[in-house]
Amino acid sequence: MSLAAGPGRGGGGGAQGQLPDEMKVVVEKHVAYIQSLDTRREELEYHLTEHLRISGIYWGLTALHLLGHPDALPRDGVLDFLFSCLHADGGFGAAPGHDPHMLYTVSSVQILAMVDGFDELEKRMKDGKLKVAKYIAGLQQPNGTFAGDEWGETDTRFLYCALNALSLLGFLPSQQADQPPLIDVPAATAYVKACQNFDGGFGTEPGAESHSGQVFTCCGALSITGELDSYLGEEGKDRLGAWLSERQLPSGGLNGRPEKLVDVCYSWWVMSSMAMIGRLHWIDKAKLTAFILQCQDPEEGGFADRPGDMVDVFHTVFGLAGLSLLGHPGLVEVDPA
Amino acid sequence: MGKYADDEQWSDVVPLPTDEGGDNPLAAIAYSEEYEETMSYLRAIMAANEYSPRVLDLTEDLIDMNPAHYTVWLYRAQCLFAIDSDLKEELEWLNETALTHQKNYQIWHHRNLIVDKLDQCEGETAFVESMFERDAKNYHVWSYRQWLVRRFGLWDKGELEFTEQMLQRDVRNNSAWNHRWFVVNGQEGAAGVGDPDIRAREMKFAMLAIAKAPQNQSPWNYLRGITKKSGMSLAHLKDFAEQYASLDQPDNIHSSFALDLLADILVEEKNTKQAAQALDLLEKTYDPIRKNYWAYRKEQLGLPAAVA
Ligand SMILES: [Zn+2]
Repeated sequence: MSLAAGPGRGGGGGAQGQLPDEMKVVVEKHVAYIQSLDTRREELEYHLTEHLRISGIYWGLTALHLLGHPDALPRDGVLDFLFSCLHADGGFGAAPGHDPHMLYTVSSVQILAMVDGFDELEKRMKDGKLKVAKYIAGLQQPNGTFAGDEWGETDTRFLYCALNALSLLGFLPSQQADQPPLIDVPAATAYVKACQNFDGGFGTEPGAESHSGQVFTCCGALSITGELDSYLGEEGKDRLGAWLSERQLPSGGLNGRPEKLVDVCYSWWVMSSMAMIGRLHWIDKAKLTAFILQCQDPEEGGFADRPGDMVDVFHTVFGLAGLSLLGHPGLVEVDPA
Repeated sequence: MGKYADDEQWSDVVPLPTDEGGDNPLAAIAYSEEYEETMSYLRAIMAANEYSPRVLDLTEDLIDMNPAHYTVWLYRAQCLFAIDSDLKEELEWLNETALTHQKNYQIWHHRNLIVDKLDQCEGETAFVESMFERDAKNYHVWSYRQWLVRRFGLWDKGELEFTEQMLQRDVRNNSAWNHRWFVVNGQEGAAGVGDPDIRAREMKFAMLAIAKAPQNQSPWNYLRGITKKSGMSLAHLKDFAEQYASLDQPDNIHSSFALDLLADILVEEKNTKQAAQALDLLEKTYDPIRKNYWAYRKEQLGLPAAVA
């Protein structure tokens, strides 16, 4: 996910003036909720989610950008923390003392892109961008996919992450035409295509069940390499779009695969995939908007996975990103890929 | 003071506290004392590259407290292999751990490493089945099952029957439908539903499942998958679709998926007027949440707006 260039619709909630209360995004409360996450350190849950710390900062920052308050977390503090997770091989761990891993390296690159911090990376590590790019490229496997770490667990999620981060760093082969390529793009896209299933969706590896999250990563990967349109064609887009639109249930919410529960986070994965293939209008936007807003905590801020559940930062960012894609007033526009 | 500080077995180790924190509020992470103590011993052990049986105790302790800490899993695996530990014992321990932490994927990756190294999968499919009794749609467990089938060539060792049992228990389990497709079509070089006998068997299987629960997306997708992969015309399914959705009885539609399929068949037959009628029913009555999708399908028919 990245934020669209340009001024967007502007945060602050001023544009929501005409809406009834239950349709309003409580912008200030969400900002306060995200700021509060970092001060809840005495809670047990805080250290148990340590393995997600960098991702948590990424989700929090993205949410703040969507809310039009990009400066609500201190940039210097974010950068210091980020660099305390950086290893000499160019990989980032989830928190200080954790091994480097693809997921956190990508979150770190996304954060650096968001806070315009690549110069800072170069200052702290000589040829830092290239080193990070090489760490990511080094995780590519002979079959084209990417591992999460040196232990070789692979997943289309990691493949998308790798392409996304390399493109932000400017080290995709297409961005470095005069250099030998760091990764084998044709092998990567061939692997993604092998993950497409008989129902039109995509899974984590060839043969694995179609899942909206994986549809997002596979479409995202093909979109970054510029092959999404030519690979799917109109017929393929119709088929995949039909599968994605079937994720919407009568409650208005979206699920991740057939016969599973609806969940706010799928608002993002399903809708951004539909946007990438030009089929977003197949969603019943009014019903989905109402569902997402039912998951908002209007008193304390934050979004939950389903109405009535506990809020968390993960569902907060995906709820906000979903509302942004739905064109809800008061939020900054988001770029689906 | 603490479990490890007071234990003679660990008296030779100087625990390494975390160096995070200081003035930076984002980096300061406060731990529970017990967790922090155990982690500080792990840091010391890792710094010394120690591989020994007590590392297994220590990592087990940490995994119990926080199974999502991937560094701990990696170090445990390294240690197991380095000291040539009994991997079957490790599997037994994993069986219990997997039951307490079902949503954790590190456990499955770890299991994968162990079983791969063991080079035999005795008892594994039975264990997976016991996991499915708790959650029959767990994505990690299904992925692990597919890995077992590929790694140990279990394609025709009762796997088809297994999907049948799973679908008997819950005919709406999309994961089981997906696995069936994988078993039938996933083996390299296999004809799968390209073989007429297999195709007939699989179509019959899907049709019987539909008869049990017509408003169930998975077997309809499965049927469509068969026609697409084998290059069969959808027209073969017309009589079947009409059993559940007949345009002569628009108030008595038993499955929106049948109606959807019928619309496609009518398009194939160039009967656009009836196709529009089917899509209209979907848009207005049987699947209104996707009205924009059905409207798009009607547009594709190229009928003048007034007729559609
Ligand atoms: Zn969720």
